[in-house]
Amino acid sequence: MKMEEMSLSGLDNSKLEAIAQEIYTDLVEDSCLGFCFEVHRAVKCGYFFLDDTDPESVKDFEIVDQPGLDIFGQVFNQWKSKECVCPNCSRSIAASRFAPHLEKCLGMGRNSSRIANRRIANSNNMNKSESDQEDNDDINDNDWSYGSEKKAKKRKSDKLWYLPFQNPNSPRRSKSLKHKNGFSVCTSASNTLPLLFSSSGELSNSDPFKYNSSSGISYEALGPEELRSLLTTQCGVISEHTKKMCTRSLRCPQHTDEQRRAVRVYFLGPSAVLPEVESSLDNDSFDMTDSQALISRLQWDGSSDLSPSDSGSSKTSENQGWGLGTNSSESRKTKKKKSHLSLVGTASSLGTNKKKKPKPPAPPTPSIYDDIN
Amino acid sequence: MNKDAQIRAAINQKLIETRERECLKELLRAKLIECGWKDQLKAHCKEVIKEKGLEHITVDALVAEITPKGRVDSSMNFNTCLDSCSYHYNQALVPDSVKKELLQRIRTFLDQHASL
Repeated sequence: MKMEEMSLSGLDNSKLEAIAQEIYTDLVEDSCLGFCFEVHRAVKCGYFFLDDTDPESVKDFEIVDQPGLDIFGQVFNQWKSKECVCPNCSRSIAASRFAPHLEKCLGMGRNSSRIANRRIANSNNMNKSESDQEDNDDINDNDWSYGSEKKAKKRKSDKLWYLPFQNPNSPRRSKSLKHKNGFSVCTSASNTLPLLFSSSGELSNSDPFKYNSSSGISYEALGPEELRSLLTTQCGVISEHTKKMCTRSLRCPQHTDEQRRAVRVYFLGPSAVLPEVESSLDNDSFDMTDSQALISRLQWDGSSDLSPSDSGSSKTSENQGWGLGTNSSESRKTKKKKSHLSLVGTASSLGTNKKKKPKPPAPPTPSIYDDIN
Repeated sequence: MNKDAQIRAAINQKLIETRERECLKELLRAKLIECGWKDQLKAHCKEVIKEKGLEHITVDALVAEITPKGRVDSSMNFNTCLDSCSYHYNQALVPDSVKKELLQRIRTFLDQHASL
């Protein structure tokens, strides 16, 4: 039939309403029917009742809404205080510390191998340094006993020490440390800082230096020998709040020369000399007289109070810079190379020289090495 | 009456041709789900099925139970069953707002195509 034959406009509203109603009803029926088909299919396929749970399960897994518990009813932080028994060492360990403990206990995991490697490297160093009997004697003859111990500081403190700069366990570091019989000579500029401290760490293993986790040295633990060596190469000013010596170079901007002098006077007596940096310093080996000449040149009092122990210890390293007994020549080059020098001072006092200098170290370094070896 | 039937048929045809019917159906379906009508019916279905037994349920039974309280017997033709249904039950469940909106749309459609 043609639509033109009939006209809806002729229909009145009630009829239109009725028609609309019918259409609507048809639609609802269709929806119903569709729904019935879905249900029937679900029943026959077996998934109609899948979303039902029995009342017991519903009660078991009900959402918990109590304070202090999560929605599963578990207590927060419940595992913090629990203790587990390590299957390897049969110790009772706190749960939150269990994983790291296991890593170390079993010797697996990244850090364990690094620690092991470092221990090996350090034991090599220790064997080398302890061969110098004089050093050990000097350490034993402390007049001022700062409680220095011969035991190497634990690696943990070294690690903490290093953290600000670089991961001390990185293989790059250990390679450069290992390959020179424990002397760390690293020419790459980027490594300078970490190697500085790492070698200090190495030293601390073989030396009774006490490095704490901050970037300073606790002076109580140092013997006078180490102190002197430190003070010749490092700033050494004791910080107010941490009570530690500054390990930056002799020209570190944080502290004034007055402070440095005061520290040296405090530690080494009134005749303490502030090792001044001079560009014209000769880096070859010094003996006492030379140092005195230098000292006068630097407008400081001559270090006339050089104790015998100083000269004794200074024999161990070829470059006897100052009467303070520790310096190797490289320490003179502090001027702009801040971080490398503290290494040198500490190194020389112990007879193990670990040097890092940006300048070509050729002339002095081999000599030192020869001396040690 | 014939004319009415004709008119209705013509309108239906128009609805289908312009795909308006499908639109309306989809709209209604969405609205019924949204208003919870489907869930209510599903709960009712579950009761019916539990009553009748899972194995012996048929489409007819479902339709009969669900769509209205009508007189239904399985011998009836499906279409006649629907025709004879009183739609009160399920239609009562449909909220008024949904109903009104759909009627509105149908009226609009009719008005649009009145001259046709």
